[in-house]
Amino acid sequence: MVVVERKELSFWERIYFPAILKGLKITVSKMFAPRFTRQYPEEPLPTTEVTRGQPRLAVNEDDTIRCVSCGLCEAACPAYAITIDGQETDRFIEREPERFDIDMLRCILCGFCEEACPKDAIYMSNELELADFSREALVYDIEKLKRPVSALQDRIDYVKRINDRWQTSSST
Amino acid sequence: MTWFWITLGITAACYGAVIGTAALMTLAERKVSAAMQYRYGPNRVGPFGLLQPLADGLKFIFKEEVVPAGANPFIFKLAPALTALPAMLAIAVIPFTGVIATYEGTEILGSIANPDIGILYVLAVTGIGVYGAILGGWASNSKYSLLGGLRASAQMVSYELSLILSVLAVVAMSGTLNLHEIVAQQSGWLGWNIFTQPLAFLLFLICSYAETNRHPFDFAECEPELVGGFHTEYSSMKFAMFFIGEYTAMVVMACLTTTLFLGGYLVPFWPDAPWFVGLAAFGAKTAFFLVLFIWVRWTLPRFRYDQLMHLGWKVLFPLALLNVFLTGLFVSLGSGGN
Ligand code: SF4
Ligand code: SF4
Repeated sequence: MVVVERKELSFWERIYFPAILKGLKITVSKMFAPRFTRQYPEEPLPTTEVTRGQPRLAVNEDDTIRCVSCGLCEAACPAYAITIDGQETDRFIEREPERFDIDMLRCILCGFCEEACPKDAIYMSNELELADFSREALVYDIEKLKRPVSALQDRIDYVKRINDRWQTSSST
Repeated sequence: MTWFWITLGITAACYGAVIGTAALMTLAERKVSAAMQYRYGPNRVGPFGLLQPLADGLKFIFKEEVVPAGANPFIFKLAPALTALPAMLAIAVIPFTGVIATYEGTEILGSIANPDIGILYVLAVTGIGVYGAILGGWASNSKYSLLGGLRASAQMVSYELSLILSVLAVVAMSGTLNLHEIVAQQSGWLGWNIFTQPLAFLLFLICSYAETNRHPFDFAECEPELVGGFHTEYSSMKFAMFFIGEYTAMVVMACLTTTLFLGGYLVPFWPDAPWFVGLAAFGAKTAFFLVLFIWVRWTLPRFRYDQLMHLGWKVLFPLALLNVFLTGLFVSLGSGGN
């Protein structure tokens, strides 16, 4: 059993005023403290190579797309966000996508496409902002998805590092 | 005819000023509370978010109006107007500044009207304000609203008494009900009623928070228990009307506190200051009380309902009575000595 001792309040405690003044002093002092709010559009959140933003297609320095339209990302995508049609090309890789759509409204940014890709062609970028006035405009086609390798380099290095670690630990 | 235009001009200026202040108060409320909680508050609409009240108003106009099933439509629609109207009526007698000019041998005063029963009139019309809350609560056909309305009425009865008694002490001191004269009486070194009647000032301040349904006495709309109290069922512009009424009432109460206890438009150490300086002084003093309203709201927790009643009847009421008694004693002794 717990006996709660109720303390008798002193006169000054009972008339509230000292406590009220103390409270008012605290709130007014907080008014000039630094603020936590991030002013979002002007002050975006910092991103790192670990940030899993929207998937983007890597484009080599010579302007050729890395994707060979194998369809593995399409199959791996749990949200059925990717649609690919392939076509032939004269380049060594022989195939490239004719159409590569990602429905950004379906994409859950899981990164499975990045993991599935055998040609290091699709990467999770650090682009996070997604807004438009219609659903159709948010189905990104190949032109909207293309990014030069240099823009994705941090992520590419990061993924390689992670994959390498996994490989060495399994081989030993 | 000239008098008509003069009166019209003053009326427009006074109403514009008070209602504009009330609108800005909604912004100040959010800004100050934000600053106290390490936030920024609205800062997107216009510079520093100054146009936010306008944006809010527009939004309210475009919202759907819902009248709940089983509500009494006439009273339901009447109630918001009944809340907003009394507060606006009270603006009519508030002395914003002294003599502006003299025209045809008559002084143009810085208030819309200057009746001899000024303070009585203010108390009478602000007293009607609670009907809006009661009727709104009853007509909504919702138990939360009804409880909110009931609480509003109970609270009003208990606190209006002490409020009026504290004003009575001031009136007894000045010997007049005319607000301009009450202000004029407070001239001189330490002449403000806050120095001669500190207890009445404190009581008036506390009761004015209860009068305007502000924290820590906002039982009529106490969110955790009553959802939103008497305005739970209201939407669109009718909801906004309650807010306009509430904030106008706050501005009026701040003006009244200034007039009764802080020497109104008097400027310290400058007895014959021109009218616009007086107006500025009035504005500054009123602004302090307005900020105090917000400051207190975001500092103190709400009372418990029984504590509210306890405070009203067992503490404030006897104190107010005592104050009136002592003041009366001094006044009669003083005049007896003359
Ligand atoms: S991130 Fe996931 S959901 Fe988005 S496209 Fe890739 S696999 Fe599909
Ligand atoms: S898995 Fe890679 S190579 Fe295959 S279709 Fe997708 S992006 Fe192209």
